[in-house]
Amino acid sequence: MASTMYLLSEFRDKEAVAGAIHSLRASGVGDSDIDLFSEEPVEFKRGVLDRPSQMSLAAVLGAIVLGGAATAFVRFAQYNYAVNTGGMPTFSFWGTGVITYEMTMLGAVLATFVFFLWESGLIRKRDKTAPVPVVPPECICLRVRCVSGDVVKPTAILQESGAISVEKKAPL
Amino acid sequence: MYRHIKQPELLPYGKIREDLFRPLSGLTRKYLFAIIAPILVILIGGYAWATQLRYGMGVTGLQRPVFWGFYIVDFVFWIGISHAGTLISAILRLTDAGWRKPITRAAEAITVFALMIGGMFPIIHLGRAWYFYWLMPYPNSRLLWPNFRSPLLWDLTAICAYVTGSVIFLYLPLIPDMAQLAEHNTPWRAKLYHVLSLGWTGSDTEWHALERAMKLMAGIILAVAISVHTIVAWDFAMAIAPMWHSTIFGPYFVVGAIFSGLAGLMIVMAAIRKLMGLELYLTRHHFNNLAKLLLLMSILWLYFTMAEHLTVWYGNDPSEMVVFGARTRARFSTLFWLMVFVNFVVPFVLLGIRRLRNITTGVIASVGILFGMFLERYIIVVPTLSNPRLPAASSTSYAPSWVEIAITAATFAGMIVLYLIFSKLFPIIAVWEFKPHPHEDEI
Repeated sequence: MASTMYLLSEFRDKEAVAGAIHSLRASGVGDSDIDLFSEEPVEFKRGVLDRPSQMSLAAVLGAIVLGGAATAFVRFAQYNYAVNTGGMPTFSFWGTGVITYEMTMLGAVLATFVFFLWESGLIRKRDKTAPVPVVPPECICLRVRCVSGDVVKPTAILQESGAISVEKKAPL
Repeated sequence: MYRHIKQPELLPYGKIREDLFRPLSGLTRKYLFAIIAPILVILIGGYAWATQLRYGMGVTGLQRPVFWGFYIVDFVFWIGISHAGTLISAILRLTDAGWRKPITRAAEAITVFALMIGGMFPIIHLGRAWYFYWLMPYPNSRLLWPNFRSPLLWDLTAICAYVTGSVIFLYLPLIPDMAQLAEHNTPWRAKLYHVLSLGWTGSDTEWHALERAMKLMAGIILAVAISVHTIVAWDFAMAIAPMWHSTIFGPYFVVGAIFSGLAGLMIVMAAIRKLMGLELYLTRHHFNNLAKLLLLMSILWLYFTMAEHLTVWYGNDPSEMVVFGARTRARFSTLFWLMVFVNFVVPFVLLGIRRLRNITTGVIASVGILFGMFLERYIIVVPTLSNPRLPAASSTSYAPSWVEIAITAATFAGMIVLYLIFSKLFPIIAVWEFKPHPHEDEI
């Protein structure tokens, strides 16, 4: 039975990494099998290792949910003990709109934070068996997951693309 | 060796890391003195507050009809200072200003601490501080809810949203740095950084999520920050009190907040530059840019002050003219014109004339601005309450007591202590935001 194997490669040049990713994908390696490690964010052109995100949508939903809940709560409280407003409406958006606004923003903030934790994988159950490379200063590491019997081709691609070193590692 | 390098981004990454992580270890004599002196001031402030709790609000200078004094001035002042960080950092992040890199974290930390300090003042001002929980939205024993239409409750929600957002905005970019710090440190520090960095590995998924979150947060926090100081302004403007009931109070306060926040940031940056030996990272270029922003805000502040006073003078409403007169030519006139001098004349000369503009003059102007903005809040609060629209049952002239002055001094000391502790635990400049130079050998 074929087991999983990881290839850890080191690059000095961002363009070389982009080239390696293109070649790996052309050879059939999926985006989810490729991970990149660096000490700073590495920006590529669109189409190279894109990571689609739903964070903006989550922020909007969080804003709507908390803003709506806060407004409903204030409205409930105003009617729950209706004070004499001298003929003015018991509940008014003019009077409590600020609370709606602030809670809407708080909802967006919290949703963004929670979604960051989720999307980055920091609070998700990650694959603890995948080896994490130690990134030397000014280097970019590329980790490729492949089947143990099929490491020759990806290794060759990485080396041809300009990797300084390529190391084979079994899951931890 | 690296003195000839004008842009810190061009320094070798190893050097950047070493320089910015070095201040975290070891306690120097200078640091100990810097932290012990303010702790003594905090203790005096604590004694003053204990005195107030023991004997009641009578120990303050507050008397009918001046029920708001130094505490509310302090509240508005510190909320204003909090705009130094998150707002300025968010604007610089959104506009992708390259020179922001060494500034943002120092600025974001100011926001969190200033909000913590500012948020204490409504509680101190309550007198019976232990009844603070009455502001929480739950029905009391008579099933009465808090008044959601009160601007004071708006303050609570706004500050809660702003504190939460600011803490997250400060925390997110700290994660990669803490992951690096967890690798090489004393056991307890390594454990702390390991827990706080949440197992960050530096993968592209994590970087993508972080950058996206920071961009989103910058946009959201900008809207929150502006609303917070607008709401603080509405604490005054919603009252039909002379020279408070003004439609431009919101933007006037926001401009004042950014103005005082920038001044606070300039002072903090100069202090950490000197104390931590970060001359290579906080360069004249950064101070020059901040000085230009400060000058712009000074001019904007003068414009709003003129607009506010000119319309009152032209309207000639008797009750407003009493306050106008008290501010500009009677009891408070010395403070008023001193405020105009330090908030406009001094910055205009020191920062406007290119030959005079340097780090020292920037700090001098900033100290003046902080003093001037404190005076501005005092001049907004006290003259109006001293001359209410309806004749008061009794009239008195307000002067802060030693209790109020000691508590105010303690908050400044508190800011210093919090900042010094923070700078010992976390790098004051975001290390990962500096891109390493690709050809280190050439330097």
